[in-house]
Amino acid sequence: MSWTVCSCPRNRDCCQFLKTNALTDLGDALISGSLTDEQLIAQTRQNEVISIIPDANVVKVGGQSFIDRGRSAVFPLMDEIVANLSRHKMIIGTGAGTRARHAYSVGLDLGMPTGVLSVLGTFVSMQNARMIHYLLAKHGVPFVEPAQFAQLPLYLEERRAVVFFGMPPYTFWHQNPAVGRIPPHRTDTGVYLVSEVFGTRSMIFVKDERGLFTADPKKDHRAKFIPKITVEELAAMDLQDVVVERAVLELMKSAEHCRSIYVINGLEPGNLTRALNGEHVGTVITAD
Amino acid sequence: MSNSPSRAHHVQSFLMRESLVDKDVMKSTEAPVVRMLPEAHVVKIGGCSILDAGRSVVYPVVETLSRLLATKKLILGVGGGVRTRHVFSVALDLGLPTGVLAELSAADANGNAHILGTLLAPHGVVAIPPEMFGHLLPLFIEAAPGVIFHGVPPYSLWEHPPGVGRIPPHRTDAGCFLLAECFGCKSLVLVKDVDGVYDKDPKTHAGATLIRAISATDLERRALPTLPFDRVLLRLLGTSRLLKQFQVVNGHKPELIEEALNGNHVGTIVYADPRAGAEVRLPRPRERVVEASSLAEVALKPGIVDNERS
Repeated sequence: MSWTVCSCPRNRDCCQFLKTNALTDLGDALISGSLTDEQLIAQTRQNEVISIIPDANVVKVGGQSFIDRGRSAVFPLMDEIVANLSRHKMIIGTGAGTRARHAYSVGLDLGMPTGVLSVLGTFVSMQNARMIHYLLAKHGVPFVEPAQFAQLPLYLEERRAVVFFGMPPYTFWHQNPAVGRIPPHRTDTGVYLVSEVFGTRSMIFVKDERGLFTADPKKDHRAKFIPKITVEELAAMDLQDVVVERAVLELMKSAEHCRSIYVINGLEPGNLTRALNGEHVGTVITAD
Repeated sequence: MSNSPSRAHHVQSFLMRESLVDKDVMKSTEAPVVRMLPEAHVVKIGGCSILDAGRSVVYPVVETLSRLLATKKLILGVGGGVRTRHVFSVALDLGLPTGVLAELSAADANGNAHILGTLLAPHGVVAIPPEMFGHLLPLFIEAAPGVIFHGVPPYSLWEHPPGVGRIPPHRTDAGCFLLAECFGCKSLVLVKDVDGVYDKDPKTHAGATLIRAISATDLERRALPTLPFDRVLLRLLGTSRLLKQFQVVNGHKPELIEEALNGNHVGTIVYADPRAGAEVRLPRPRERVVEASSLAEVALKPGIVDNERS
């Protein structure tokens, strides 16, 4: 048995070389220790995390809630985005919407696993991103795929905005949900994680409702509006339906940067501008 | 269809106008799943534990894999090993976030995939570029006895921030697990440098006992200080539909890899709690898949569920 070397044969020359060249004691420990060791892992947040693009805003344009409404909803929002280009950098992610729901229902019936449904969802959010991109193209706004994210800071500096598809690129590696088959990390989550990893100044979800309600206001007229709430309070309410993916609320608890998100009604002109300016419109959900 | 501001254009489907966050709607989507590659085995070759250990360890493992490729279809994942640990330590020192660490780690594992691919090239088994690996996997598996991929799941910048620390939680064991689950593979074997999971760290406890089989929930409850695989696997087993267990074997005894792929219990089997997750009974797609299920039955016999108790 060779557990004596944990998961790494640290007596080997190759490991010794890297170990003696490690910058820090933590580096030594990471090279020779186990990445499942909670005590070791806990030390890996000792340095403050940097903000990669601190002056950008991430804006999510909903699929079913927004883009599927067509010109009457989308055109005014595009005008508002363009009007804000001189003042705000925007990383614009798109939802998937009703065609994803169709693809999911066909796929579920035919026995597709969650990873394949994730691929199908990606294709639909890609279509929406392409359409939003063509509407903004005359302003020099590019569309970026995950593989092109290295160019994103340059595009933001030069053109002030980029468009990307919201679905996280997990494809066949998408985790199963606890209940059902629908991929649990969809476009809200993918867009949120971009805000988290880049440490952006805000995360704004543009939907077709004022914000968070105690129930789906489209189906229940007694639903009450919630202007401000924490993820813990929201979890305690155990709502049947919430305005953003539950995975976002879960991830917010572990987030290092993106500890608050805004949900606004993009159908009302001026809301996006106000949210970009840091005003409280819609609902703000916070981790703390 | 209307294009008035109050109405969206909908495509007719049973999820039309539904919130995909609604709990009842989610329950309605519980459905059986097809197996894409029921004959293929996923074998994870450890980075630190095998590939970094040098020729004396790697060559016998490669020899065993070569022999297995004559009769079995293998999807080989690799770990990034000590270079990933080093790049993590530099990146952490620089204050880079979890998603960036995840993005960086793919490069080391990809290097290891190419090393293994060079050694298995005489058998037509090579490292497949990650961008095409998932979509073309069934084609490759039909055309070649096996394929190699870097085990890193494509989470990259979209890696989840972990609750504790800043190390990416979905590493190469998780990448191999999620792949085996999505493609409905026959088995997942994690090749490491230990005989399996122990009740205590044997480094500091001479009397540490090997746990031959244990459920994910029991293992999680024990909160062992270290595990020979990514901790997130315990949670992933809780929601898996097709892959209900995996086996950890010692690659420093390469004959055990062969035994494990033949359906024998030679290391530690970690299995999904029978009560966890949705119970979906699927027709067994091919006769030979029974091997994997009979393995589960072995694991569930109370006598050997936990060596320590017996």
